[in-house]
Formats: sequence, structure tokens, C-alpha cells
Amino acid sequence: MLELRDVTSYYGSTPIIQGLSLDLAKGDLLSVIGRNGVGKTTLARTILGLTTRVTGSIRINGQEVAQLPTHRRAAAGIGYIPQGRGILPKFSVRENILLGTFARKDGNAEVPAKVLDLFPYLADNLDKSAGILSGGQAQQLAIARALATDPSLLILDEPTEGIQPNIVEQIQQLVISLNRQLGITVILIEQNVEFAKNAATRFVIMDKGAIAAKGPVEDLSDDLIEQHLTI
Amino acid sequence: MSVDHFWTAFAFGPFMNALLIGLSVASIWLIAALGLAIVYGTMGVINMAHGEFVMLGAYSAFVLERYLGVPFLACIPCAFVIVAAIGAVIELGLVRYLYRRPLDTLLATWGLSLVLIQTVRLILGPEPKNIASPEFLNSSVQFWVFSLSLFRLFVIAVTLATFAGTWWLMHRTRVGLMVRAVMQNKEIASAHGIDTGRVYTLTFAYGAGLAGLAGAMFGAIKNVFPDMGSGYIVEAFLVVVVGGVGSLIGSLVSAVGLGEIYSVFAYFTNGTFAKFWLFLLVVVFLRFRPQGLFAESLGRR
Repeated sequence: MLELRDVTSYYGSTPIIQGLSLDLAKGDLLSVIGRNGVGKTTLARTILGLTTRVTGSIRINGQEVAQLPTHRRAAAGIGYIPQGRGILPKFSVRENILLGTFARKDGNAEVPAKVLDLFPYLADNLDKSAGILSGGQAQQLAIARALATDPSLLILDEPTEGIQPNIVEQIQQLVISLNRQLGITVILIEQNVEFAKNAATRFVIMDKGAIAAKGPVEDLSDDLIEQHLTI
Repeated sequence: MSVDHFWTAFAFGPFMNALLIGLSVASIWLIAALGLAIVYGTMGVINMAHGEFVMLGAYSAFVLERYLGVPFLACIPCAFVIVAAIGAVIELGLVRYLYRRPLDTLLATWGLSLVLIQTVRLILGPEPKNIASPEFLNSSVQFWVFSLSLFRLFVIAVTLATFAGTWWLMHRTRVGLMVRAVMQNKEIASAHGIDTGRVYTLTFAYGAGLAGLAGAMFGAIKNVFPDMGSGYIVEAFLVVVVGGVGSLIGSLVSAVGLGEIYSVFAYFTNGTFAKFWLFLLVVVFLRFRPQGLFAESLGRR
């Protein structure tokens, strides 16, 4: 459902990702791991069209999107949960979720019931200001907002970063169940290798803006982790 | 001028009337500033041609009334539509290419303002024109100690209605949700399906339209000439800066405050001296609160 062919992605005139190819089948959960600064976040932003320039081909459900503006990629079925969550602090919880509905194809302009079922805390606090949510609540909101776009592909950039430890497990379970129960294809960018391994069906290890190793999660050996992730 | 003639002593009736005139001044400054505030707040574009959009609105009303016989009250919404359309064309043809380059936008829109002034001067001539407003608006109303021309009351009413309509549009509609989302975080907005380019075009057109609507009324209060815009732009900028960028309520509060300060000083002294005090107070105010009264957006870009 997602297919990257020889993708090079630039910030300004500097190529951050070079000649990257990647395939993702429907229902996969792909964990992207690697050290800091190897281009994991840039990979997410490249798929969304948030880098300066891209060459190569990016196809989502067969549709070529590499040169499309970001909002049309969102409409093509990508839900994005950015690093740092990207909650709009001046909006209420409701307005943040409604933001997701602009990418829907069915024209639904209400907070989707499915989202409210998944996040009872948000459902009870729709009119609360999003700026005062805790890290874990804000992460739920970011996921709820992405789900409101009715995505076929979810991209989560370090969803457990900066979350209080007792909530981390909850978020991890949620990510896994979105993939296993709801059948949403997921790209998970993660520093926490244990979580990345538990959640994934496939993995990619990135190094210096390219893919250093990839395969089904069974092939993610301790040797590979040792080689590419320890500092 | 002798000192005796300079000061006006306090007298209850005339002073109360000066306060009412202050509201009238505030309504004129606010309607001139509203479009500027929205465009700056949403797009971060300081539109130096905003005064010329006011001028274009005035000329639109003049041409419609003089040559096409459109009644004045119908000219006002028409001026909105015409100048909004001009604004959309300018956004698509010029401003669009200058986002993230604030200094270039400043220069380009200033250049644009010169082009607009000269174009109008070439086509319609440099001499001032008059817009005839309907008879009933030229009478004045008296109640208690107040006396004000009906036209100034009309401007206050139109300004309040426009302000309320804009607030409703921004806070109660889906388009407003889009605009406010782009205002806070352009990237997040586009990653959730909002076409930021279209939002910018619409916002710029709406801001231009508001200036056009203001111009249609200003043209009837005074007269219409090619560089009339510069007479409104300074006060409009003051209102936006003092109110706080990106805050509609801030613009309202600051317009009323500045209008009243001006009017009170003008009552005790004269208009020129009042402007001097107004500018001085604004400079001192901004020294201590550079983000303005309602600082919604500091550090956003």
C-alpha cells in the first residue's frame, strides 16, 4: 500500500535521505529504528511532503504522491502523529479532533464516534483547552486527531517520548491494537527498541539517511541491534 | 496661536459629546484595521498596500454610484466584493511567492501601493471626487447632551456588524476553524488536510474586502482621491500593534481606547496636538508591552 522508490529528500539544498526504497503491505506495522539524527523523522516528513524537495517515487494505494502538496497526501489516507505531538494549544480538545476531519473523504464534519469510544477521557473533556493536557493526554489527542482523518496509514513519530512511565504501556497497547484490531497500516518511529520489536511485523534500521537493514521482525537479531543502535 | 485659544475648558455636555466622537473615530480606525489585523495575524504578511485597498474601495463606490447609478448603500457591499476579488488576484500573482520572506513582502506590497495609486491617478485623474450619500444620512441626531451626524452613527453600526460577522466567521464556522488552525501551526494544519494556500488566498481576499468596505464609507465621509489610503494606514497599524497581533478582540479594545484618547486630547487642545500625544503614548506603551494588549501570538513564527 506504500511504496517508496529511490527517494531522495532535501532540507534546503542538503539531501537528508538518499536513494531510499521501501515497501509496506496493507496491515503491516513497520518499526523504524536507528540512532538520533539518522533521518527517521525526515522519513516521516518526506512521506507527508514536509521537506523542501523530493526526488523519486512515493505511492500510496497506487497513487503517486511524491510531488503532491501535504494536504492532498493527508486526503490520500495518511494520518500523522508528529514528534512532540503537535497539539494546537489554543484549540479545545474538540477543535483539535475536528482538525482531522478536513482530510476525510466522506465529508463528516463531526467528531467521529469511533474516536470517542477509543478515548473516554477525551470524550469527557471535549471543551477543555488542549494547551493544559498532560503529555499522555496530549498524545491520545494527537492519535485521536489522526484517526479522525479516517487514515489507511498511520505514521507515529516517537509516540512514547516524554510520556509519564505509567502511561507509556497504555500508549503502546493502543498502537498495537490500532494495527491488529482496526487493521490500520502503521509506520512506528521509535527509540525504545523493546517496544518497537514487540509491536512490529516488519522493521527498518536507518543509518546516515539510508536503510541499513530491513526485514520481517523475526530477523531483528540482537546482533543487528548491537551493530546499528548502540553508541 | 495664543495660549488662551489653545486650551478648551472642561464643560460637561461638550465633553460627553467628545467621548461619543471618540467612539466614532474608533469605529473608523477599527474598520480600517480589521482587514490588516486578519491578514497579519493569519499570514504574517504586513500589507503596506492595505491603505490602497481602502482607496480602491472608495473609487469602486464612486464609479458604481456616478456612472452606473448604484445607490450608495448598495455600493458598500459591492466595494467589498470588488476589492476582495482584486485582493485574491494580488495574493495569487504576487504575495504567494513571498511567504517566509517578510522584508520582501513589505517592499513588494509598498511597491504595489505605488502602482495602484498611479494607476488610479492615470485612469481617473488626480482631482478629489465626491460620493453622494443619501439625504437622511446627512442629518444629525440630538439626544440629551449628544449631537452626532447620522452618518457617523451609521459607520459605527456597520463597523460593529462587520466585527461581529468576522468574529462569527472565525469562531463559529468550519472555514474559521481552518484559518485559526493555519494561524497556529501551518504544518500541522496541512498534515490534516487543510489546503493552506487556499486559506491564504481567502484570508487575503477577505482582508482586502474589509478595506474596500471601509473605503466606500470613508469616501463618503470626506472625499475620494488617489493617495487617500495613507491617511488611514498609520492609525490602522497603531490599532493592530497596540491590540496584539492575531487578536480580534484586541483590535476592538485598542481601537476604542486609542479613539477615546485621541478624542479627549482633541477636545482639550486640538487635533494635531492630540495626534502627537496619541503617538507618544503608543510608543511608551509599546516600550513596556511590545506584544500589545492581547498577546496571542508572540513567538508563533
